[in-house]
Amino acid sequence: MPILGRFHDGRVAEVHGVELHYLAEYETGSLLINAATDHHELARWPAADLYVVPGRRDELRLACSSASAGARVVVQGAENVARIRATLPVLQSKQRREAGRQTRLAVIATLALASVIAAYLYGVPLLANRLVGLVPTDWEQRLGATVATQMEASLGGFQLCDPDPDSLANRAIARFGQAAMAESGSPFAPSINVVRSDIPNAFALPGGQVFFFSALLEQAQFPDEFAGVLAHEIGHVAHRHGMEQLISSAGTGALIGFILGDMTGISLAAGLGSTIIDASFSRDAERQADAFAAAVAQRMDFDPSGLADLLNRVGRDDDFARALALLSTHPLTDDRKAALAELGAQRPDGLEPPFTPTEWRAIRTMCDRTAFNIGQTKTK
Amino acid sequence: MVMQQGPGRPVPVVFTGTRRELGGLLLRGYLLLLPTIGLYRFWLLTWKRRFYWSNTEIDGDSLEYTGNAMQLLLGFLMALAVFLPFYVVFFYLSTLSTDAAIIGYGGIGVALWFLMGYAIYRARDFRFSRTLWRGIRFDQTGNGWAYALRRFGWSLLMIVTAGLVYPFMAASLWRYRYGHSWYGDLRFGFVGSWKQLAAQYYLTYVAVVIIGAIAAGVGLAMDVVPAGGEFNPLGLVPLGIGALLIALLALRYQARELSRMYSSVRLGSAVVTVTVTGRALFGQYVLCGLALLGAFVLLAIGGFVVLGLVANEAFAGGFDPEIFFRYMQGSLITLIAIIFGYLLILGAFTMMTELFIGLGYWKLIASGASIAGADSLRGVRARSEDKALAGEGLADALNVGAY
Repeated sequence: MPILGRFHDGRVAEVHGVELHYLAEYETGSLLINAATDHHELARWPAADLYVVPGRRDELRLACSSASAGARVVVQGAENVARIRATLPVLQSKQRREAGRQTRLAVIATLALASVIAAYLYGVPLLANRLVGLVPTDWEQRLGATVATQMEASLGGFQLCDPDPDSLANRAIARFGQAAMAESGSPFAPSINVVRSDIPNAFALPGGQVFFFSALLEQAQFPDEFAGVLAHEIGHVAHRHGMEQLISSAGTGALIGFILGDMTGISLAAGLGSTIIDASFSRDAERQADAFAAAVAQRMDFDPSGLADLLNRVGRDDDFARALALLSTHPLTDDRKAALAELGAQRPDGLEPPFTPTEWRAIRTMCDRTAFNIGQTKTK
Repeated sequence: MVMQQGPGRPVPVVFTGTRRELGGLLLRGYLLLLPTIGLYRFWLLTWKRRFYWSNTEIDGDSLEYTGNAMQLLLGFLMALAVFLPFYVVFFYLSTLSTDAAIIGYGGIGVALWFLMGYAIYRARDFRFSRTLWRGIRFDQTGNGWAYALRRFGWSLLMIVTAGLVYPFMAASLWRYRYGHSWYGDLRFGFVGSWKQLAAQYYLTYVAVVIIGAIAAGVGLAMDVVPAGGEFNPLGLVPLGIGALLIALLALRYQARELSRMYSSVRLGSAVVTVTVTGRALFGQYVLCGLALLGAFVLLAIGGFVVLGLVANEAFAGGFDPEIFFRYMQGSLITLIAIIFGYLLILGAFTMMTELFIGLGYWKLIASGASIAGADSLRGVRARSEDKALAGEGLADALNVGAY
C-alpha cells in the first residue's frame, strides 16, 4: 500500500494529494511522487538528494536539493513517518549530520566567546591602564567634580570639618599631600577634604580630590595611621585609579551586555556582574596604592603599616562592610599588613615626621568643635 | 489532480501546538544557555519559531519557518558594530556634568527610538521572507528607513497631541506594512482605516482619563501621598481599582484593534477575518499572573532550603543576619547560589510569560482567524529568492520581536 501525502511543487501554491513509492535502482533509489487520483507522476526525487525539514510532531516534511527550494512532500501520522524513515535510512544519517553541524557551530561560537571573555578579563585592566594616559587631565578633573556632586547628593551633603584653608590642620594636610605627590609626576595637585560623616571611610576621586571622613579620623590613634591612609589615597590619585576603574567597568559592562544580548546595558545582572569582576581588578589597584604609600614613607618618617592597622580596626567594627568584603574594594587581610610592614622595614634614618605634634593635635581635633555645634542643633 | 474545496467556504486557521511541548522546548533551551554562555539563545529562538510556525495550520497546510540560528548569530554580530559607538558615547556621557549627561542620554534615547522602527521592520522582513506555506515564500519589500521615519514622525505627533492621533498612526503603519508584504507574486493589501478604530479608541481614551482622574482624586483625598497628613495605605485601594479598570479597558481595546486591523488584511481576493475578545486576552494575563505566582512561591521555598543548607548556622535557632553575612563573605558557594537564584528567577519569569502571554496571543489570533476565498490563492506563483538579509541584526540587539 503506498503512503499518502501532500505535495507542493515550490512553484505554484497548489496542494496535490499524492501517493509515494520507493523505486530502487542499482545502489540508490528514488522517491516517486504520483498524483493520488490518476496515478500520473508529478515528480521523481533521487533518494540521495532528499532531506528532512523541521516540522511539527508526527509530521515528516521532505525536501529535495535538486528540486525547487520550496518543494515539499508532507506525510502525517506516526506510522507513515516511521515507514518512510525505515525505507530511507539516508534521512536519519543526514539529520544526524545536520545536528552535528549545529552542535559544532554552537561549540565553536561558545569557545570563541569564552576566549573573548578571557582576553577581556586580562586585556581590559591593561587597556584601561594605557587608555588612562590618553584621557585629558581637565576632562578627568571635570569628571571628578561630577562624581563628587553625585556622592554629595547621595550622602546628604558634605560638610567640611574645618572650612578655613589656612588653619594649622588644613595647611599641614595640604603640605603632606604635596610632598607625597612630589615625585610621582602626576598632573594633578591633590585636594584633601576632611569631611563630617558617620561612615569610617576615605576615598580618592578621578582628578585629584581625596575625601577623608571624620569617623575614620576619630579612629586614628597615631599619626602614622592617618598619614598611611592619606598616602594610600594619594597613591590612587597618582595612579589615576578612579579613571582606570571607570574605563574597565565600562568595558565589563559591554561584555556582559553582549552575553545577555542586551546591548542597552540597563539590565540588573550587568551591574551586578561588573561589580564582582571589577572588585578583583581593583585589588591590584589597592596593592599599587599601598606600594605608593610605602614609597612616601621612604621620604617621611611614618610607618606605612599603620594604614593596615587603621583599616583593620575600622573593619572589625563594621560587620556589614565585612559581609560585603567579597564585593569590597579594600581587602582587609593580614597579608596586606605583612606586605606593608615589609615595604616599610628598611626606611632611611633621620627623616622628618609628616606632622609635628602640634599639627597632629590640630588634625585630631579639627572635627570636634563643629561636632559639638551639630549636636546642639540636633537636640533643639 | 487537485484537492477540491467547497467554493468560497471560509477556511479556519488551526493551532496544533501544546503548552507542554513549548514548555519542554524552553526548558531544554534554557539549560543549554548555561554552558554556551548565552549564545544558545539564537538556537532557542529558531526552535521556538519552528514550533509556532509548524503548528499553525491554514487550510490543511502548516507554515514552515526556514530561518536558522547562524543567520541570527551573524545578524547579532553585525548589530554589535552599530552599537559599539553608542556604547562609547554612553560612557563618555556618564562622565559629564549632570545636565550635559541628561541632554546626551535624551539624544541617544531619541536615536534609539528611531532605530527601533528600522529594527522592527527588518525583523518582520526576516520572519516574512523565511516563512513558507504550500511551498511558496512570503516576503516583505519596502524600505526599513522609510518605515522608521514614518513611525518616528507619528510618535512625535502622538506626543504633541497627547495620544489623540493614535488611530491615524495605527492605520498608517498597518497599511505600510501590509502594502509591502507579499505571498509569492501576490501582494497583500490593507483596507482598514482610522475610522474603524476611532470610535473605540476615543471612547476608551475618555473612559481611561475619567477613571484615572477619579481614582487619583479619591486616592489623594484619602492621603495616599503624605502631603501634611499621614500616609494612609487604604488610599491605595482606589488607585488599585482604577489601575485594574484601566487595564481591562486597554485589553478590551487591544482586542478590538487586533480583530479589526487583521480583518482588514487582504490577499488577492482572499479575506482574513480575526475575532479576538478582550475577555480572552484578560484570561491570558490572569493565567500568566497565577503561573508566575506559583513559580515564584516554588522558587522562594527552594531558595530558602538551599540557603539553609549552605549557611545552616545562620538559621539555627532563628535567623542571625551576622552569621549569614559572614557566610556571604566567606563562601563562594553562597555567591554561586545567589547567581543561580537570580538566573532561576529570570528564567521562571521569561518562561511563564512565553508560555502564557506569547503562546496565548499566538493561539488566540490563530484560532480566532479564518480565511474566505482561500482557493483563489492556489494560483500564486513563487517569486525569485531574496538572499539580501543576514539575520535580524538590530532587532536582536534591541530586543524587539517577541516571536
